[in-house]
Amino acid sequence: MLKLLVGIIPGIISGTGMGGGTILILILSLFMGVDQHVAQATNLVFFVPTSITAIIVSIKEKLIDWNIGIYIAVSGIVGAIIGAKISVKMNVILLKKLFGIFLAFIAIYEIYSLVKEYRFNKKINNNIERKNNL
Amino acid sequence: MECKMIKKILVGFCAGIISGLFTAGGGMIVVPALIHIFHLDDRKARATSIFTILPMVVTSGIFYYSNNYINWKLGITCAIGGIIGGYIGAKILKKISIKILKKTFTIFLIYVSIKMII
Repeated sequence: MLKLLVGIIPGIISGTGMGGGTILILILSLFMGVDQHVAQATNLVFFVPTSITAIIVSIKEKLIDWNIGIYIAVSGIVGAIIGAKISVKMNVILLKKLFGIFLAFIAIYEIYSLVKEYRFNKKINNNIERKNNL
Repeated sequence: MECKMIKKILVGFCAGIISGLFTAGGGMIVVPALIHIFHLDDRKARATSIFTILPMVVTSGIFYYSNNYINWKLGITCAIGGIIGGYIGAKILKKISIKILKKTFTIFLIYVSIKMII
């Protein structure tokens, strides 16, 4: 039952496009004591059914850019072979640390985009004010 | 034209390595790249990203499977939860602010990344 709940939270988060998988791995490895490799593998099983549903919907709504997508997918497979080969042989402690560093980068990017959005909105508001004053 | 092709391949390759290493986070590379480099709109970027990540995930899965890291019972239970969560998410995300969620997520990320690195 608890495991079911563990899946629900990342499921909700996935809809925002902020990486439901990342949350799933974190909950499993940090709070439920699952080994990092097993937590990551669980994410693979988690991802497939949810993403297939999303892809079917996207195809129907013509949201997929095939011209870009195909190339990214094919080169992604090559990258994934290299990444997975390194990962499965990697020491768990090192893998966890690397994952932490990756998360820190994402956090920095999120802060950067929030600041950028804030500045952009401020600029628009200033422009509106200026127009109103004229 | 050729430059664009190289960019596509590089984005895919980087996302693939991250996907293989951590199994998650590939989308966090592909989505911003599609928006900022290829100028797709938000919805198209997300849809295209999921389509590109699936083959990377399946590829990584083969390696994790052959090293016996897959716990099917845990995975399937979480996946069922994920489907329920996705449904709930689709309903409530219209009502709550994504901005607040994003801020909460970022704070959470800072906290866990420090915890994992130390």
